[in-house]
Amino acid sequence: MKLSLLFFAVGLILVLLQTTLLHLLPLGPIVPDFVLVLLVYWGLYHPTVGAVVASFLLGYSVDVVSSPILGLNAFAMSMVFLAVHLSSRSIWLHDPMASAIVVLLASLVKGAALALLSAVFLTVESFWISASLYIIIEALIAAALAPFVFPLLRRGQSYVERFRVTA
Amino acid sequence: MLAFLRKHQIVLSSCSCLLLSLYILNAAARGQLKNDPIGPILLWLLRPMQLGTHAVTGWFSDIQKGFDTLSGFKAENERLRTRIQQLEAERNKLLEAEATNRRLQQLLDFRAQLPPGSVTATIIANSASTWFQSCLLDKGSSDGVGKGMAAVTPLGVVGQVISTAARSAKVLLITDPNSGVDVLVQRTRARGIVSGSLEQKTIMKYVKRSEDIQVGDRLITTGLDGVFPKGLMVGTVTKVQKQNLGLFQYIELTPSVSPSQTEEVLVVKVETNQTKNEGSPVNKIR
Repeated sequence: MKLSLLFFAVGLILVLLQTTLLHLLPLGPIVPDFVLVLLVYWGLYHPTVGAVVASFLLGYSVDVVSSPILGLNAFAMSMVFLAVHLSSRSIWLHDPMASAIVVLLASLVKGAALALLSAVFLTVESFWISASLYIIIEALIAAALAPFVFPLLRRGQSYVERFRVTA
Repeated sequence: MLAFLRKHQIVLSSCSCLLLSLYILNAAARGQLKNDPIGPILLWLLRPMQLGTHAVTGWFSDIQKGFDTLSGFKAENERLRTRIQQLEAERNKLLEAEATNRRLQQLLDFRAQLPPGSVTATIIANSASTWFQSCLLDKGSSDGVGKGMAAVTPLGVVGQVISTAARSAKVLLITDPNSGVDVLVQRTRARGIVSGSLEQKTIMKYVKRSEDIQVGDRLITTGLDGVFPKGLMVGTVTKVQKQNLGLFQYIELTPSVSPSQTEEVLVVKVETNQTKNEGSPVNKIR
């Protein structure tokens, strides 16, 4: 429970960073998706019902601050969490490269879900060409972040678990 | 049964969240989502942090500007450098205060030309997603900001308020592909709709091939969409292309307001008997 709350708080801070500081990076319109990296880690190493709800709420908070209609990111993030959880039994992340690949695939799932829902619920002309480009760039950036973010989250998790054992 | 539920609790709860998302999405797209219980709470949680981060970002940006200005004085000795740094920081502070004063004065002058009831707001955050061009304002429904109101500056149109909480509001920028502003070319009075595109280009749509549009033409709001006041600058035409086929020409423009360089906006409500929300993103969402 404590870990889920910690991760959720971290997720909210990451949403906050995505709306403010990360816009200062020279990446044009692309916003590095730290929330996705967190959810992939969460889905792999600490999948609980609380984490499912948190993934929905984090997606929803991205919707609240960004999307023209609510529910797009909430759906995409829940989808990512489910996909990661279902495949977690066959994934063993032993090196940073492997974590990058898993995040890359998760980001592609999220991008595909967003693109599909946007195409259904929003009317955007010449959508698919630009959407594919964004999906790929976003996935590559998220994958590049994973080897750095995963060890930090692992350290946070082991700290909380050690604290729990001591208590 | 209980054992099954326990065994598959994550998959089942994930599926419930997916279904809930789809329900919200469908209701929002149809405009049936009147009360959003979670959004205001999340915004309430994020707002103070956003305000704080906004202030810190501004502080860092000031410091960075100070250092940039000082980079030409490398040959100076350390004492002078420190002194210059102090003076520069002070000067930046004063310049910033003066610039803010000037901007606010311009906003006040501009406000006098607009319909009564406009609200001055500060942009406190940008979009958290690559896919949408939006920003958050520090004023919300309790300050008189309402859904559908226009966000403008003396330089031109910024966007349209698409949702509000008590103390914040979300603005869909005119550079977003889902936006739409009814405009006319100032020189020829040809009409069209300005919208963003995913390629980060702002385009004017639905302009007949026969219309005379040239690079450098200024685009202004018609005021007929019931959202933006008439005569506000929207942008300048940068590219005109008449393809071999098709009824319309392809026109690109540079918006007169760069959202990334805008700090304050005026939120305006236009009262009109014309068809409301014509060209607004709300209408474009199925």
